[in-house]
Amino acid sequence: MEVKRNLKKRIIRDKQIYLLLFPVILFFFVWHYIPMWGARIAFQDIRYIGDNQWAGLKHFRMLFSSPVFARVFLNTIVISSMKIFIFFPMPIVLAFLFNEVTSQGYRKFVQSVIYLPHFFSWVVIAGIFISLLSSPDGVVNQILIFFGADPVPFMTSTRHIRWVFVVSEIWRSIGWDSILYIAAINSISPTLYEAATIDGASRLQQALRITLPSILPTVITVFILNLGFFMNAGFDQVFNMMNDAVINHVDIIDTYVYRIGLAKGNFSLGTAAGLFKGLIGLFLILSTDRLSRKATGEGVW
Amino acid sequence: MEVKRRSIGQIFIVVFLFLLALVMIYPIYNQLVISLTGPEYIAAADGTTLVARGMTLDTYRSVLSIKKVYRGLLNSLYITSVGLVINIVLTSMGAYALTKRDLPGRSLIITFIIITMIFEGGLIPDYFLMRDLGLLNRYWSVILYKAVNPYYLIILLRFFDRVPKSLIEAARMDGYGEIRILFSIVIPISVAGIATISLFYGVFHWNEYFRSMIYLIDEAKMPLQVVVRELVIAGEKANFIGATNYFNVQGAATVDFKALKAALIILVIIPILLFYPFVLRYFVKGRLEGSVKE
Repeated sequence: MEVKRNLKKRIIRDKQIYLLLFPVILFFFVWHYIPMWGARIAFQDIRYIGDNQWAGLKHFRMLFSSPVFARVFLNTIVISSMKIFIFFPMPIVLAFLFNEVTSQGYRKFVQSVIYLPHFFSWVVIAGIFISLLSSPDGVVNQILIFFGADPVPFMTSTRHIRWVFVVSEIWRSIGWDSILYIAAINSISPTLYEAATIDGASRLQQALRITLPSILPTVITVFILNLGFFMNAGFDQVFNMMNDAVINHVDIIDTYVYRIGLAKGNFSLGTAAGLFKGLIGLFLILSTDRLSRKATGEGVW
Repeated sequence: MEVKRRSIGQIFIVVFLFLLALVMIYPIYNQLVISLTGPEYIAAADGTTLVARGMTLDTYRSVLSIKKVYRGLLNSLYITSVGLVINIVLTSMGAYALTKRDLPGRSLIITFIIITMIFEGGLIPDYFLMRDLGLLNRYWSVILYKAVNPYYLIILLRFFDRVPKSLIEAARMDGYGEIRILFSIVIPISVAGIATISLFYGVFHWNEYFRSMIYLIDEAKMPLQVVVRELVIAGEKANFIGATNYFNVQGAATVDFKALKAALIILVIIPILLFYPFVLRYFVKGRLEGSVKE
């Protein structure tokens, strides 16, 4: 009784705070929770006159028996894996390299240049890469020609396009993603290095024996976070860099949802594909969060 | 002694980082050069062109005289500025309320917000929501998209937490209401926090193209990114300088398609470059405050 009255009192005391929160909660409710409820059309047939009819798992069955979706699913996993396993170590290596630069001015200069591409839209980055890789005018092909090789039409080559994704991801994010590791390195106590120097450890030994173990928790946390978002293979990148010549190799679930669902009007099928992806993502995020709690004693969320 | 011992490895690293910076900047520089090259030299300009011969701003004049482009520019400025005001007001209100640790239901509200970060209805339900709210083909559909970003809310929350509690208590004693405390004390003290999230939101709005493509129907309402995409990526040349527009564009006959694309790319990143010094000051710190991956 006492507690209840107390709670009531506190709620009344904080009524202005709730007033401030109200528009924010309303926003999340309308913009995020209504679409979650709206996703039920994945289980329905849409009727333009009268109510939609429940269709059970019909659209999911269609999805899973579709060879196109199988391919799209595989593309998502392949592209995402390439990005995680090839790209992931690079910002870490970069942070180590920055740590070896003694001139603060030079360090700042290089950092401010390499952070820049992170702030460009994928529209701009795709435009730049299309020009960069064009055949034979682009600088990459000009270099190939200079060394006597044949020019390669990278953007329309099924063998190269996924690598274009990896490279453009590196171009955009290597600097930005190194920030976290640089900060982790900066927070290492200098006395550790001083002691190691007295013991005669080389810079390389110091990097491997002191720096690496010290930033390992950060590395693990970021890796786990990336795994949680594994199903997001990069909609904006693929959407802006894909073309008819390579579509079968690059079409991912998100671009499939757009094409099948919105562009072609199969709303239920598209929503089913999106929901399926969302559920896998949810499972990954929740399990990686548990993994993180075990590995570092701290959850991601 | 020390310097000498590790000089070779260090020189290697310094050179490597220089090359990396070059790889980052060269593609942008190359677009700039092509966009500035004069009409008589443009045919020969390619990815290896280092100097803009016959330098001229004519390409930019032509680009800006294309109705689609200058309208796109105005649309982007409108969406970004109105969006930013709404972002800042809503995010501040949410963040300030959540700095109150003993607020009944606080953890419930936080959970309510965090769920939206890990699960979403998806593209098609979002589209239907806009249709049902009557927002299709209205700027509001794009302005209000992600009006409160939970990551940025958390970042601002950490900034607001640093405002001395004694100051807020004193204001309450003086009979200030919470809304007045927020807008006349907390926000003015947290300039760095507001600047940080403004840059985050600003870049987000400026770079947004996809929701505009699907929510807005009139070509006249499209932001600049959509226009750039149409020409640079989809390569729909005819829509720009072909057929009906051809003679309306000042000097279009002498404008090269390659130069036009390059000028558009530069045009759309100019605001980013202008704000980049502030970005460097606040973003990098913001990244660490949030410790979140985009």
